[in-house]
Amino acid sequence: MKKFVFFLVLILMGALIVGCSANEADIKDKEPEDPKKEEAGEIETSGKDELSGEITVWAHPFSGDQEIEGAMWKEIIATYEQETGVKVNFEQIPWANRDQKVLTALAANNGPDVFYVIPDQMPQYADVGMLLELDPYLEGFDIEDFVDTALVSTTWKDKLYGLPILQEAYTYIYNVDVIKAIGEDPENLPATWEEFEKWAEKAKDKGFYATSFQGGGSLNGTLYPFLWQAGGDVVTENNEVLINNEAGIEAFTFINNMYEKGWIPADSITAMEHNGLWESGKMLAVQGSGISVSRLMGQDLFDFVIAPPMKHKEQLTYGTTGMFVAPINTDNPAAAAEFIKVMTNTDNQKKFNTVTQYIPTRESAKDIFGEQKYLEQLAGYTQYALPGVIHPEGRTIMPLIQAEIQAMLEGKKTPQEAADAAAEAVQGKMK
Amino acid sequence: MSTLSNTLTSKKSKLPLGERLKREWKRNAIVYIVLIPVIAHFIVFQIYPFLLSFYLTFMDWKVIGDPEFVGLKHWKYLLTDKLAWKAIWNTVVFSVYYILPTMALGLLLAVIINSGVKLAGFFKGIFFLPVVTSFVIIAGIWGWLFGGTEAGMINYMLSFVGIEPQLFLSNSSQALAVLAGLSIFKVAGTTMIYYFAGLQSIDRGLYEAARIDGASSFKIFWNITFPLLKPIHFYVAITTTIGSFQIFDSAYLLTGGGPSYATTTIVYYLYEQGFTSLNLSYAAVLSYVLFSIILIISLIQRKFLGQDSKHY
Repeated sequence: MKKFVFFLVLILMGALIVGCSANEADIKDKEPEDPKKEEAGEIETSGKDELSGEITVWAHPFSGDQEIEGAMWKEIIATYEQETGVKVNFEQIPWANRDQKVLTALAANNGPDVFYVIPDQMPQYADVGMLLELDPYLEGFDIEDFVDTALVSTTWKDKLYGLPILQEAYTYIYNVDVIKAIGEDPENLPATWEEFEKWAEKAKDKGFYATSFQGGGSLNGTLYPFLWQAGGDVVTENNEVLINNEAGIEAFTFINNMYEKGWIPADSITAMEHNGLWESGKMLAVQGSGISVSRLMGQDLFDFVIAPPMKHKEQLTYGTTGMFVAPINTDNPAAAAEFIKVMTNTDNQKKFNTVTQYIPTRESAKDIFGEQKYLEQLAGYTQYALPGVIHPEGRTIMPLIQAEIQAMLEGKKTPQEAADAAAEAVQGKMK
Repeated sequence: MSTLSNTLTSKKSKLPLGERLKREWKRNAIVYIVLIPVIAHFIVFQIYPFLLSFYLTFMDWKVIGDPEFVGLKHWKYLLTDKLAWKAIWNTVVFSVYYILPTMALGLLLAVIINSGVKLAGFFKGIFFLPVVTSFVIIAGIWGWLFGGTEAGMINYMLSFVGIEPQLFLSNSSQALAVLAGLSIFKVAGTTMIYYFAGLQSIDRGLYEAARIDGASSFKIFWNITFPLLKPIHFYVAITTTIGSFQIFDSAYLLTGGGPSYATTTIVYYLYEQGFTSLNLSYAAVLSYVLFSIILIISLIQRKFLGQDSKHY
């Protein structure tokens, strides 16, 4: 028994030593943050020749054709390596659970030096000091060439943490066959809620669904566009919760109405996709962006037309801005910052967005859609695109609001009750 | 002889420590060599995370940055967090839907393949197929079967008997049961194998004796087979109980914890807190709650198992 106790104590001591030493290592890694930055700044001002070592870049599959996308990355990376002498380890990470993969890797000090984020992730990371501020590396950089709405999404509390590579705008894509079946004109698409409601009613009468509603998916594709169109918002930067004001109730009511009238499928409460219904021609319209358009063109199932984002009080929609950022604990901050700059320069933006069918964030790269009418049309809508709820708790509050919408659609709460409950839940997350 | 060995032992214990260690090493070197990697693995992957996560429950730590000591803040929050209690309740309800049906179905399948039916090997393979198929694929098929519109397979079949389309995964009173159904479908094959092994080990003589006494098949099953399978019952009960408290993947894949938290289980909630909200400290508190629940249930079941082994 004594031996056993001794053995147990030994194991515990061992564990504590391991634990403590890991913490010390963490602290050691963190200490040189500032000197590192200064050092990096010096390197930056003295030119690219001083860059060396290697960096790891994590990106995701941005397009359906991995062969072409792979060739694009090879070309971009080869140019960067040649110019800077820094070796790039490129790793493609699946979209699913990317937050967790990045976070766990960074926590283990084993993460990428450059990775991709969207605007509602960025403040969450920046707020806890996870991201490298890029301002010191941007001396003499032509930042004015970037579109303003894209740069807004890369800035948190007056500091720039990323450079944008892509933008997109979600708007309704209509099935021309269904438009004809309900006796409407594909040239004259609904521009307001009222017009959309009329079409939706007709579609329902003819046995179609008006649109898709993915209650189990991100609110960026469900509640938020309607909320913004109604003139509302979720929460301000100063933690003022707005979701249950008059505009909020209006948006909740609009969604509830769509469900009660059967304009959206019965499983919309938790649905994560309605691809089958849309692709088999049983739906009037779905919200989509460049990827949806290229998918439709590839499948060639039916003719389609794209409507401008709808307007109720405001003409707004969701559209993400994708950016590359560097973590604060990167071993090679200067090379990481340089990679972000090279990746988002005009040439590479053209290459990247031609392959992935997103919209470039530099004015000088926007000429790539000359002959692609749909993408040119979508590019025109980025001016209406908001990138989600830009708040450190932006992603945390999403499941809370989602649950209240689900309760409303199930008939357990009125739109007012659901919006109030959502506001209470959001308020609970504000510091 | 015994006196001699005593003298030898006492002599041995008087040897210097270095010498004793040397002898011990010579005698049991292989044991230590085999043990070291196992113990190292155990320390690094079990003990260290276990202690670190306990330490985390008293800190505020968001993956990167310095942890800040906050005392019992997260433990206190647990007491007032309605969602955590709902998640625990959902998990308990899930267990009710899941444990007994899994055992019953596993036993039924085992009895079928043990009954000498033709093509028993073929059926064994069929019943075991869900176990070896990827959970993501099975969940995809399940989601398609239980689609909440009239286009869903089960709804289509229900329409023939005049039942209105059901919402299934979009209905807060049905969703958890549908998820439990998926887990039963996935796990029953494993349970079947345990029961099959149990059935094979029952002495045939007992059946013959019962038949000579004129017992019916039902009586034989109820009075001989069922009680003799008790060790298997307990083993399966423990594994399925632990499994049911760790349920996560089906909620993650099919419902996202909804509708309105109806399928938010304790592990799903823990995951959300840890990896969506970056509230790793509170997630650590939840993991200790889960650990305590599983520990208590396992101890209770073990007590019964211990008693049982005295009888058989």
